[in-house]
Amino acid sequence: MTSVTAAGRRRAGLVTGTFLVARRAVLTFLRTPQLVIVGTVQLVGFLVTFRYVFGGAFGTSRGLPYVDFAVPGFIAAGVPFTLIGTAVVMAEDLQRGFVDRLRSLPFPSAAVLTGRVLADSVVLTWSLAVATLVGFAIGFRLHGSIPQGLAAFGLCLVFGLAFSWVFITLGLVAGNGQAAQGMAMLVFPLTFGSSAYVPVETMPGWLRAFADNQPVTWMANAVRALTLGDRSRDFLGHSAAYYVTHSLIWAAGIMIVFSALAVACFRRS
Amino acid sequence: MPDALTMAARSIRLSARNIDALITALALPVMLMLCFVYLFGGAIDPGGGYIQYVVPGILVICAGFGAGTTAMSVSGDMSGGIVDRFRSMDVGGTAILAGHVAASMVRNLAASTIVFAVALAIGFRPEAAAGGWLAAVAILLAYVLAVSWIGAAVGLLAKTPEAASGFAFFVSFLPYPSSAFVPVESMPGWLHGFALNQPLTPVIDALRGLLLDQPAGAAPWQALAWCAGIVVAGMVVSAALFRRRIS
Repeated sequence: MTSVTAAGRRRAGLVTGTFLVARRAVLTFLRTPQLVIVGTVQLVGFLVTFRYVFGGAFGTSRGLPYVDFAVPGFIAAGVPFTLIGTAVVMAEDLQRGFVDRLRSLPFPSAAVLTGRVLADSVVLTWSLAVATLVGFAIGFRLHGSIPQGLAAFGLCLVFGLAFSWVFITLGLVAGNGQAAQGMAMLVFPLTFGSSAYVPVETMPGWLRAFADNQPVTWMANAVRALTLGDRSRDFLGHSAAYYVTHSLIWAAGIMIVFSALAVACFRRS
Repeated sequence: MPDALTMAARSIRLSARNIDALITALALPVMLMLCFVYLFGGAIDPGGGYIQYVVPGILVICAGFGAGTTAMSVSGDMSGGIVDRFRSMDVGGTAILAGHVAASMVRNLAASTIVFAVALAIGFRPEAAAGGWLAAVAILLAYVLAVSWIGAAVGLLAKTPEAASGFAFFVSFLPYPSSAFVPVESMPGWLHGFALNQPLTPVIDALRGLLLDQPAGAAPWQALAWCAGIVVAGMVVSAALFRRRIS
């Protein structure tokens, strides 16, 4: 009897709690077919549209075929787009009292946040894999080595970790799903006002100043540089290491700032 | 006729009360235009003349967005039981649908006017003479009428407003493989055939030619033929579906 009570009272660790919360989030995603299907169809539609409808008009960037310019940018820009749902789910869980129920369970309350981040990484891996496969199907080719290609994929996941904290914070601040959806729309200026889809040199001066100095541009250029391998300097002006270093600094900065904000908001909620 | 006007007034009042949807319907085409002019315009036309090319396409897209709203409002009425109440007051089915279509025309014209005003503010310069203006407005109205009737038919076909909203997604996708954003010639061969022979391309080309005082060729007549065909098909299908839904 005593041993049962002791076992019941024993708190699960952060790792166990994280896995439990993440498992629930991933299962929810998998059991909502429209989330999987609509997201995938939109991604494919978007890529195909830019490749075939606009690709001919956009032409080449410093001699680089548009498909090889665009696909890495799309994959990088797909990171924040994929994670918009995080803000909405977080806000709805908070509103419905589900977060309070999780807090009452015998594991560290931080697991609510870390579990969400882990779940985001799983969903993001699926989304990036689909985008990559579609990219290859529509004519994208890896000019760098396979390890460089894998590094590009890994870099997207690192950026996903950073942006996951951004959207968790937005969800905690918003208070309800609709408000969170509205706040998450900040990804549009970030992704479209970047080098993800077109070279920043083609943008007007005032917009270029913004595009040159924001994280998605560095991220898109880093992924692009890794997929180009040794040809990166010819097409982008710098080596892959230059872009990767800058994008990792951005990712670390975003993660530090927004994880701290998320924890503060979570404690207050 | 008075019944249809009453129904139209009701639809417009309902639209005005749905602030979220109203703002979205007005802001989305403007955002799309700004996005293409400033973000992609330089890549498509480095000479800086892209705004002249894209605005006529955006005006047509703007009209198309409203069709999704029509589909959802018709579907909402059909599933909400209000139609039965109207019919008990001896309001005909034609008046109910015509009211929705008339309201759609007003909504779309308002949205198009706002888009046009923003376009002028950011540098669009139409060069049409009076005749060109009249013809351009006539074609735009014909297109709005066509997509509104199709929207009404889809609203009758859909079981719920949510299902009807899928139509809005389809209508908003159709302009991409057309001459709205980029010349059809720049697209790959297999897409060429579709882009040249879908209804939006002649409508956009006609509007562009008329507003910029450029030769539009047969595009205005093709546009009107497409619109007339779609209006007739939309009205016939809507009437049949309405009868089936209330029987």
